[in-house]
Amino acid sequence: MKYAIEAEGLVKRYGDKAALDGVDLRARTGAVLGVLGPNGAGKTTAVRILATLAAPDAGRALVGGHDVTRHPARVRELIGLTGQYASVDEKLTGTQNLVLIGRLLGLSRTAARARAAELLARFGLEEAAGRAAAGYSGGMRRRLDLAVSLAGRPRILFLDEPTTGLDPHARGELWDVVKELTADGVTVLLTTQYLQEADRLADDLLVIDRGRVAAAGTPGELKALAGGHRLDVRPLHAADVEKAEAILGVKATDGTLTVPVHDLAMPPAVLRRLDDAGVVLAEHALRLPSLDDVFLTLTGDTR
Amino acid sequence: MTTTPVATAPRTTASLTTTPMTTALSQGLTLAWRSLIPLRNSPGQLAGLLFQPVFMIVIFVYLFGGAAGGDRAGAVAYMLPGVLVQVALMATITTGMNLATDIGNGVFDRFRTLPIARSAPLMGRILADLLTLVITVAVSLAVGYAVGFRVTTGPLGVLAGVGLVLLMAMALSWGSAWIGLVAKSVSSMQGMATAVLLPLTFGSSAFVPATDMPGWLVWWMDLNPVSHLAAALRGLLGGGLRAADVWITLGWTAGLLALFAPLALRAYTRKVR
Repeated sequence: MKYAIEAEGLVKRYGDKAALDGVDLRARTGAVLGVLGPNGAGKTTAVRILATLAAPDAGRALVGGHDVTRHPARVRELIGLTGQYASVDEKLTGTQNLVLIGRLLGLSRTAARARAAELLARFGLEEAAGRAAAGYSGGMRRRLDLAVSLAGRPRILFLDEPTTGLDPHARGELWDVVKELTADGVTVLLTTQYLQEADRLADDLLVIDRGRVAAAGTPGELKALAGGHRLDVRPLHAADVEKAEAILGVKATDGTLTVPVHDLAMPPAVLRRLDDAGVVLAEHALRLPSLDDVFLTLTGDTR
Repeated sequence: MTTTPVATAPRTTASLTTTPMTTALSQGLTLAWRSLIPLRNSPGQLAGLLFQPVFMIVIFVYLFGGAAGGDRAGAVAYMLPGVLVQVALMATITTGMNLATDIGNGVFDRFRTLPIARSAPLMGRILADLLTLVITVAVSLAVGYAVGFRVTTGPLGVLAGVGLVLLMAMALSWGSAWIGLVAKSVSSMQGMATAVLLPLTFGSSAFVPATDMPGWLVWWMDLNPVSHLAAALRGLLGGGLRAADVWITLGWTAGLLALFAPLALRAYTRKVR
């Protein structure tokens, strides 16, 4: 099967507001599909439909080849879900949470305990194994949540903003886990607001804005959408920023001005004009567009 | 993609109810076990469960019973069945509260993404609460014995009386589950359930006979099923049973069950789809 997840024309309305307004998406088997979008773009709604938690008002979706509305039980045998909210039982210990899910999935008591121990070790939670999850830190809870969603060895994993609210260290750990999973052939659908995360993990990207697909492609293709190189210049003196803005015709963000580069003769010319005007630069750099630039181009949203 | 052969038996298409009964039952039992773990994990929870009947009995027997004229044996004989009924019925709030908690924090959604019987989470909840209720009732009877309450009928009377209380509590549990499933939050669930249960339990003749009271209150107490349940239990444990109380209680129980079970099941099926 080429695509582990395939959806066409997904529509979901809440009242008269359309959370999803005709979304198509495809995740290649064994790859990471990053779904990127600002808050309220419809990312979570899409995940809930694909994970059989919500029914679409229109459109259809196949997960692992099974229709999510007609054969949800089949889909549930293949998937794991980690939501934005940590959906572990806080009153249970780490071990108990994992044993519970293992038992529900039909493992024997011994097998469920062994699987729990294995997952706790993998996620560095051995020491906290016997403590109630209520006392876990945000990062530990997220790791336990991920461990729980892996208890049934899912072939398709949904991660809904898995690193929101995590510190950089915990975020890095989670990224490593995702990479290990894809190495095992697991298909991952990951939603995120962090461009850096999408750039780092995703093989393919889908940008959603206001319930619609704004763009789809590989990170490289999307960056190409935003055009060629960029020139960043940062005047040394804050007083010169306005002068530089007038010369280059762009607004500065945090004291840095970014101009799109159409041909490579342009950067020296720009620098010369600034120099002529007496603007001393602290920094200048020529770079490829980042996903931030893509986002800005596609959604008109300043991040 | 490698499709892992998860299902042992070949499943037919489309139907949501293909989970075999025994599997559904064992999943329900697993979830009931899960609901009872907190009692074992935190001594505070268990203490809270046991404390309530002890506290209620001591308050009613010594504080209010003492004020009622000094006949403590009489007060115990009258009030203990009432307290037992009150404690058991108030405990039904937890069914809805626990459901609302699971829904609010995403645990319920986690269960819904698992290939388990759709009915298992609700079944687990009800089984766990039933067991907790049996513990509560047993503790109440033991504390009652300690403060001088004596069963004068026999084991059959106790069984019938406890059974009657459990039946009514079950019926109310469905109501509690329904509120828990439709409530917007745990605290609104608790507020709503308390608003229903407090007048029902305290506005009854469970603790004080309906004499020397304004007419409207006597009318309400006589109508209130809790009055009849308490009277029936009093009769079944201490003698002097009026058959009418049993029939009225059973009638109310059936009525409440017929009202709340479908409402709760409908709300539940909407949630689990």
